[in-house]
Amino acid sequence: MEIQQNPVVAFNRVKKVYNTGTVALSEFDLTIHEGEFISFLGPSGCGKSTALRMVAGLGEATNGTVTVFEQKPKDVIRNSNDIAFVFQEANLLPWRTVYDNVVLPLELRGTDKKSQKETAERVLEMVGLKDHLKSYPRQLSGGMKMRVSIARALSAKPKLLLMDEPFAALDEITRQTLQLDLLNIWKKENTTILFVTHNVYEAVYLSTRIAVMSARPGRLTAMIDVDLPYPRERANSKFTEYVNIASQSLEDTMGRRELGT
Amino acid sequence: MNVQTVTSERKELVTVTGKRKRLFKFKGTVLGPVLAFIAFLSLWQLIPLLFGIAPFILPKPTDVIQAALENWTLLSPAIQITLGEAIIGFLLSAIIGIFVSVLLASSRILEISIYPYAIILQTIPVVAIAPIIVIWFGSGFNSIVIISFIFGLFPIISNTLMGLNSVDKNMQELFTLYNASKWQSMWKLRIPAALPYITAGLKVSSTLTILGAITGEYIAGIGGGKGGLGYAITVAAVQLKTPYLFACGIASAIFGIVFYLLVSYLSNMLLKSWHESAMKVEK
Repeated sequence: MEIQQNPVVAFNRVKKVYNTGTVALSEFDLTIHEGEFISFLGPSGCGKSTALRMVAGLGEATNGTVTVFEQKPKDVIRNSNDIAFVFQEANLLPWRTVYDNVVLPLELRGTDKKSQKETAERVLEMVGLKDHLKSYPRQLSGGMKMRVSIARALSAKPKLLLMDEPFAALDEITRQTLQLDLLNIWKKENTTILFVTHNVYEAVYLSTRIAVMSARPGRLTAMIDVDLPYPRERANSKFTEYVNIASQSLEDTMGRRELGT
Repeated sequence: MNVQTVTSERKELVTVTGKRKRLFKFKGTVLGPVLAFIAFLSLWQLIPLLFGIAPFILPKPTDVIQAALENWTLLSPAIQITLGEAIIGFLLSAIIGIFVSVLLASSRILEISIYPYAIILQTIPVVAIAPIIVIWFGSGFNSIVIISFIFGLFPIISNTLMGLNSVDKNMQELFTLYNASKWQSMWKLRIPAALPYITAGLKVSSTLTILGAITGEYIAGIGGGKGGLGYAITVAAVQLKTPYLFACGIASAIFGIVFYLLVSYLSNMLLKSWHESAMKVEK
């Protein structure tokens, strides 16, 4: 792995308590470097989405700090297109065509029409949808909608791509195709990706590192370096080994929780 | 082979039930209402005949048609006048209603401080403040348009506001992430997303503005000009011209339906080109 040692995201003893008193995150420390593909893996309620949203400036830490490129996330959002977010739902504007959805981030930043067009063609080619420029979201399948959503995120050339369980609502076959495509995009665009999932196989297939988290309070319980070459073979015994390791650490966090209560 | 014959037979069976279904559908959606209408008209025609009810108490449908034809030179301009008042009232309530809603929705403080008064304005019976309007704007056209406008305003404001405020949270966050300005979110997200709500408000308001125009004519009079439907109705009532009164009532009903259908058609056109998904949801 040629991973450079520039911190892209740094969580520094982050604690997040919601108004209801729920502790979503506690003593969360993590540094993410350029070019990494990190998965947050954990049961629901472990604060993995909360952590991701903080990186996008969509929530503030109660204690501690989150920095992106050594700045506050909100400042990064304000001044650049460096952070892009892909939600679990495709979240496309139904009254806009595929093309108009993809150029939305550029349009909002006031980019000129010509480069909007170039970018849209480039990213839609990348996700394999360049023949659907004029389609409306309702005419697309779930997988295609997600592709448009990814294309939209890529259109602003982000340095950091945040993905909140983007493939969770898709069927297994579509999911596997999209996973491979995502890896290709990651290589080609040289971005850093933070990926939230509750799927062990997905985490092992995609990530350079897996951050395993426990629920209530959300804590980082294990870091797994996945030292396998890409593209990974799901049937490979090494792959299975990593799946077992990840499953074991997940089970440990669950077990600890059961004993505690 | 055996299997094939079975399936072909089945196919036939399916088409037969399909035909039956279509026939049933025709019976249900077209034939039913038409028969009911004919039955209603016949009954209406028969009852005054059988019981010897005078036309000024309950005119027969034929009396009504006759009255409408005889008084066509009065009825036709009356419809045109009311139409003009209602259209202007409707356009005013649409433009001002949407503008006010966008303004209120763009600032939470504005909305909290002004919206309650919009509700109060709605709960005051317009009939009660109409004389004030007449004092301010004089009898006749201007006052009638304003009364019609007040009738139509509230459904547009409440619907538009609801639409502007019910934008999906994720979409809103998406716009925040792309550092969209308040006006960008308004134009590119909130207004398009609110469009199905806005058109629903416009449809309700279209019939209310007609009601407003006719009520306005009752109260504000004609102010020197020619009277509309409301004025014709008051005159007919005073002169006990009951068949003509019926003709006026039916004319305003037809006029209301046509206006409603027109607004529905226009808003569907608007949604079709701007908000294709909404078309599908609405069907």
